Amino acid sequence: MSRDKILSNIGDIIKPLKDIDLDIDRKSFNDKVATFKQMLQVAGGRVVEVNSLDISTIKSYFLKNKNIIDTTKQFTDTQNAISGKEYDITIIEAKFGVAENGAVWIEWNDRYPRSLITLSEALAIILRQDNIYETMQEAYNNIDFEDISYGLFLSGPSKTADIEQSLVFGAHGAVELTIFLI
Amino acid sequence: MMVNHAQNAQKFLSDKKMAKWHNEALWFVRQKRDNAVKSIDEWEALRQKAKEIKSHTLRYLRYYLQEFEKNAISNGIEVYWASDANECNEIVYKLIKQEDGKKVVKSKSMLTEECGLNPYLEQRGIEVTDTDLGERIVQLANQHPSHIVLPAIHLKKEQISSIFHDKMGTQKGNSDPEYLTKEARKDLRKKFLDADVAITGVNFALAKEGAITVCTNEGNADLGASIPNLHIACMGLEKVIPSAQELGVFTRVLARSATGQAITAYTSHFKKPKPNARLCVVIVDNGRSSMLHSNIFNALSCIRCGACMNTCPVYRRSGGHSYESVVPGPIGSVLNTQKNIDKYASLPFACSLCASCDNVCPVKIDLHNRLYIQRQEAIKHPEFKTKREILKLSAKIMQNPKLFAALMNIYRRVGKYIPNWIINSKYNIWAKHREMPQPAPKSFAQIYKEMQNEQR
Repeated sequence: MSRDKILSNIGDIIKPLKDIDLDIDRKSFNDKVATFKQMLQVAGGRVVEVNSLDISTIKSYFLKNKNIIDTTKQFTDTQNAISGKEYDITIIEAKFGVAENGAVWIEWNDRYPRSLITLSEALAIILRQDNIYETMQEAYNNIDFEDISYGLFLSGPSKTADIEQSLVFGAHGAVELTIFLI
Repeated sequence: MMVNHAQNAQKFLSDKKMAKWHNEALWFVRQKRDNAVKSIDEWEALRQKAKEIKSHTLRYLRYYLQEFEKNAISNGIEVYWASDANECNEIVYKLIKQEDGKKVVKSKSMLTEECGLNPYLEQRGIEVTDTDLGERIVQLANQHPSHIVLPAIHLKKEQISSIFHDKMGTQKGNSDPEYLTKEARKDLRKKFLDADVAITGVNFALAKEGAITVCTNEGNADLGASIPNLHIACMGLEKVIPSAQELGVFTRVLARSATGQAITAYTSHFKKPKPNARLCVVIVDNGRSSMLHSNIFNALSCIRCGACMNTCPVYRRSGGHSYESVVPGPIGSVLNTQKNIDKYASLPFACSLCASCDNVCPVKIDLHNRLYIQRQEAIKHPEFKTKREILKLSAKIMQNPKLFAALMNIYRRVGKYIPNWIINSKYNIWAKHREMPQPAPKSFAQIYKEMQNEQR
């Protein structure tokens, strides 16, 4: 069997005695929320600061007559059945954000199709200011993979620079990504 | 047949305008990388950590692979093992057939390029669509990627426009990147919605979590994997890392090194299949396990960021295709020479030993050292017989100071009388892109002696 052949070719099975020490000394950001906002803009995302959130606030940032799907189930008027294959705007609540790169962590438990994330034209992502970590190392320290089936860091909208290094947003996934920062 | 890198480079350089553009475009990416790196004070500590994690994982590779397998299976992922390219292709084809699949969407995977998966499937009647924009461009142009991160960097937008016009019916002469990208999006969106199977690569496999991580900017891996009922992910066996904790280091260095971004737009972790769907991981060896026991084992640490290519003065001026290999540039030269020295003996010489690649490598592979060591073997290739004899002769002369001085004396006397068309003729390969220097009137030893005498 190839499996056994490959494994024996690699060598004996040796169990590491201890985990790798991953600590790295670094200076903290002066203002991690400001860094987050700045890095998100670099990544092509939009930041909207709000005190509290309701569906009309979110709607007001997008063109009218768009079909909105709310995966947070906070807003009762958008419980449309998901049957079609392409959507206009999807509302998602992020677990947390990362200041150094403007990314947000999204955990998916397959209550909604995974395709919502990439088939939607626009993503409206809700993030609480208190839930921003400085670096990816800090971020991974705070993810519990136990109940996740699919999880991703999103940093701005889908993009490509494959034609002469010219940056274009909306290569395949969402063309727009707006973070509603509470 | 040995790949003749120098000859290929010469062909590439014959289009001077294009060669200049290529050189500058890649240098621009290198500069973006520098800016991204400068913003992080702890960059060098991160590189060191990244290197340590990879060394650790390679040392305990068997343990981590088995942990990954065990945990992936308990997450409902199917795990397959392939000894070589052909077995990988067979497994993928069998899985596609099980689902009665006919249409495949594929996101970027250098491994499947290495295995020749696309032609294998196409010969068996499967339609394979590359969905990364750069890869789609080279697929439509019937070419291969010339760079692992920027597959179509060897093509200008006008060329892409004409390829799209022929294959997709876009407006003739419209070479606006925004327009072309949007047209490709529309065309590929149909392919995504129609696909029966998605194939992706794997950037990292997490042993502890039994999950795979895929990084893209376009979101094509996520979109592809989210629609059909079968997602096949192909990975080289060196892609495993201990756990998600280590991703905290790699996700900080990968995109910064590759494109100068702080992180890719999508960094996705697939831990379980979608409801009622299959997620299959194929772990491929194809020479890697024996490489682990060679003197270039640390090249298996590579995370395929492409930084060594962008910085390499030879790569920038010879183009990815001149290496005639899936992975070009410094890392490609190291890997391919190890795998098949008969074919790739010229690649260790496609290097100025400037070590710029070592300095940008996020996992600190000592690429130029490896290439220098590989030269000792590569020079034995029959194609290099003349070069080898000349070098042997020069070594003999230089080891004998008297003989060397005598020959130089003769050259000093008669050198200036030899006409240019003889001394710089095509038989003098040293003078191919440069001129033989005019002999100095006096040797260094002579001048030194005279100065000593004056001082006395």
